[in-house]
Amino acid sequence: MYTSRMGALALATSLAVGSLTVVALGGGASAAPLTNVTYAYDFPGPDFELIPMVVAQDQGFFTEAGLKVKVVFPPDTSTTTKLLATGAANIGFITTTDMGVAVNAGAPVLSIGNYTMSNNWALFAKPGTVLSAKNLKTELEGKKIFSYGDTWTESMLPFVLKYAGLTNSQVNIVTDPTGQDLKFLLAGKVNVATNTSNYEVAGFDTSGIKGKESTLLGTAVGAPNIPIWVYATTQSYAKSNPKTVAAFLSAVKKATLWAVANPTKAATEFDKAYPTSGYSDAYSLAGWKLTIPFMKNSSGQYFTQTNAQWATMAKALKSIKLISSVPSPSTYYTNKFLP
Amino acid sequence: MSNNDLLQLRDVGKSFGSTVALEPTSLNIEDGSFVAIVGPSGCGKSTLFNVIAGLLKPDSGEVQVADQLVTGTAGHVGYMLQKDLLMPWRTVEDNITMAARLTRGVTADDRAEARQVAEQYGLGEFLRHYPHALSGGMRQRVAFMRTLVTRHPLLLLDEPFGALDAQTRLEMQQWLLQVWKQAQRTVLFITHDVDESIFLSDRVLVMSPRPGRIIADFVNPLGRPRNLDVLTDPQFVELKSKILHLLHGGS
Amino acid sequence: MDPLPRELGNLTTSGLLASDGQDHTWSSGNRSWQRTVLRNVGIPVLSIALLLLLWEGIVVIFHVAPYIAPRPLAAIQAVTDNWGLLWPLVLGTVRETIYGFVCGAVLGLALGVIMAKAPFLHRMIYPVLVLSQGVPIIALGAPLVLILGFGVTPKVVIVAWIVFFPVTVNVVAGLSHVDKDLLNLARVYGASRWRTFFQIEIPASTTSLFSGLKIGATYAVTGAIIGELAASDGPSLALYQEHANSNFNVAAVYGTTMVMTAIGISWFLLVVGSEVLATPWQRRTVARRSMFHRRGDGATSPKVH
Repeated sequence: MYTSRMGALALATSLAVGSLTVVALGGGASAAPLTNVTYAYDFPGPDFELIPMVVAQDQGFFTEAGLKVKVVFPPDTSTTTKLLATGAANIGFITTTDMGVAVNAGAPVLSIGNYTMSNNWALFAKPGTVLSAKNLKTELEGKKIFSYGDTWTESMLPFVLKYAGLTNSQVNIVTDPTGQDLKFLLAGKVNVATNTSNYEVAGFDTSGIKGKESTLLGTAVGAPNIPIWVYATTQSYAKSNPKTVAAFLSAVKKATLWAVANPTKAATEFDKAYPTSGYSDAYSLAGWKLTIPFMKNSSGQYFTQTNAQWATMAKALKSIKLISSVPSPSTYYTNKFLP
Repeated sequence: MSNNDLLQLRDVGKSFGSTVALEPTSLNIEDGSFVAIVGPSGCGKSTLFNVIAGLLKPDSGEVQVADQLVTGTAGHVGYMLQKDLLMPWRTVEDNITMAARLTRGVTADDRAEARQVAEQYGLGEFLRHYPHALSGGMRQRVAFMRTLVTRHPLLLLDEPFGALDAQTRLEMQQWLLQVWKQAQRTVLFITHDVDESIFLSDRVLVMSPRPGRIIADFVNPLGRPRNLDVLTDPQFVELKSKILHLLHGGS
Repeated sequence: MDPLPRELGNLTTSGLLASDGQDHTWSSGNRSWQRTVLRNVGIPVLSIALLLLLWEGIVVIFHVAPYIAPRPLAAIQAVTDNWGLLWPLVLGTVRETIYGFVCGAVLGLALGVIMAKAPFLHRMIYPVLVLSQGVPIIALGAPLVLILGFGVTPKVVIVAWIVFFPVTVNVVAGLSHVDKDLLNLARVYGASRWRTFFQIEIPASTTSLFSGLKIGATYAVTGAIIGELAASDGPSLALYQEHANSNFNVAAVYGTTMVMTAIGISWFLLVVGSEVLATPWQRRTVARRSMFHRRGDGATSPKVH
């Protein structure tokens, strides 16, 4: 979701503006009839966070689980939740803050497993520019800060600004829904970029620019430490298709473990499945490798969600008035389908 | 060459490519006269007009208006076509003052004069009307007034009543004679209509095509003022017969 | 000067008026004025009201979830509740639209005149213009922002980009269709080229010009919105809607769309209104007495021959 777009989005957007791009991952040869599942990604085009899906397909895990999964891409980053709510998609990939506002609006979405376990959203600056928790105020005041304009960034920035003791009017937030954060940063159009570290660092490292970006984790400057992405479905779909949901997650777990153990092969499979993704092979591999460490919790578990993470998320959203009330955490999730 | 001639053409000829639109032609038009020109299409009458008006430079010859050589230069004659060519976005008054507007700019005198002319010739109530609100005949009247106020002694009228119905045409012919008498100008009048040519003029020139040239020059014997009885006068009929034979081949 | 004989005088006025004899000028005493307003304003308002009713009906009858589509009243309320926040954003979009439209109109007019007057330039420029319109406007946002920055400028450029082409095309068409005989007549009158241009060619092209302006006006607001959706360093109407969308505030999304539509329609009507003012001869039989029309000061009437 948060990637250095470098033209990829322009390509993806021009292909999919206003419409859904449907890519069928053909099913393998199997005697038993397969259950159709439509999976909606969170971004208009494919990128390395889709690797578990690709692997599950290529390695036959979906077929083993009796599933035929079709991956669809939404026209923009806020539509996936709506696709789930209307039934246009059965299972989807969204952020925890998307979950928060959706449930608040009455959409019965349900999170069935974490994708990553912690908040790797961060502030970035050009090599040589210092970003520190100590001097955050001087480092940010009057500066141009990049924002994707999505719910996640809108949720995180207020915490950072509060930590720095600044108001919105004391900084210059540049909002770009097309997500050219790295390009703007390197061109000097913004002073500070915001993104998740796996996307940003992968983009920077494959950009050919020397040095390392200055990084300041959001959690170090007041942002809540909550997982960013989750797999989600609707209450009704989970109720009527419990076996399918469980089968899906079991296949995804196998694929995730395989891809974690074989990152290079996994990245190659992704490049083969989506040759027109707009990303270089090096970028996809770098990004996937950077994502891997975040996918396990401290106990070595994948996917497992906690009450605490959802309570924290809801409290955070309420404090910046994006939702009106804090429901009980169990409204948002269940772990019962996890393998 | 008489001092009474307002317009003198000396060997004026014009060709377009290989077509001789107008053979070298010489012509003298007396000051204050009304001369009609009849002829079929292609006889060179419009070319003749355009050369006199200065829109076309002749291949040979000279054009002289009063004592000025005006060959190939415009701005020395009044000119009217079948189309009234009134500017639709201007009122009647503004159309009448068009010549001033297009050259030196309109003054209060120009506007007063326009108003007076309009009133004099029956269109005083329509000064602030737009052309589309007037009938064809009225629009031609406005076009004529526009031509009049330019003070050019020589007026070239190229079938000005051709687009009007027969009834209106008759009315306009009578109106034109009145105005010509009062305004004391020299008029060259092109028409297809032989009756019209004889009814209006002192002199009828007949032209013929391939190549365009004047083939006859008749003095109109009928006296003035002209009224409707003239149309059936034996002299009228005799002249008409001569002209028709020239135009359509004798029998 | 003798007045015209009575017979002729009667002929000039009676029965020769082209119009049906009715007074087509508007005056407070003229009943059809009210009827015209009723027709031109009342009916569109009625059809919009019916549309809203239909919308409400669909939402209620099909039990459409509020996070999919709101009821019309909810959308309107989302706008009115936040009007304090929205008003400056609306002004911003209006400003971008107007600046961009004016730039595009002026550019279009200038290009149209140049191309009409210089056929060689016409042949050189026209393919470039067509190319410019082949570029999808949505794809313009990113590169323009990189070059022109995050402020108002890229938005103005996008609007101007959209507006200038129909204006250019229509101005060229208008100027090339001026009556040749009228132009010849002007020459016979001894008119200079400048005077011919300003007194005849330009007024004759007014209808075409406004055709182009109206087309441009229709799309101008869309251009402003597209510009706002590219990167910007301040709040904007489009961004407000984006946020409302990500935050599942569907009522605000629909409400903002209604606001944007209203801006677009208002601008279009303004352009139509200026056309009405600029071309009185299209609608009236008699010119209005305007303060710009200098009246005669009673100078001595000269002799007319």
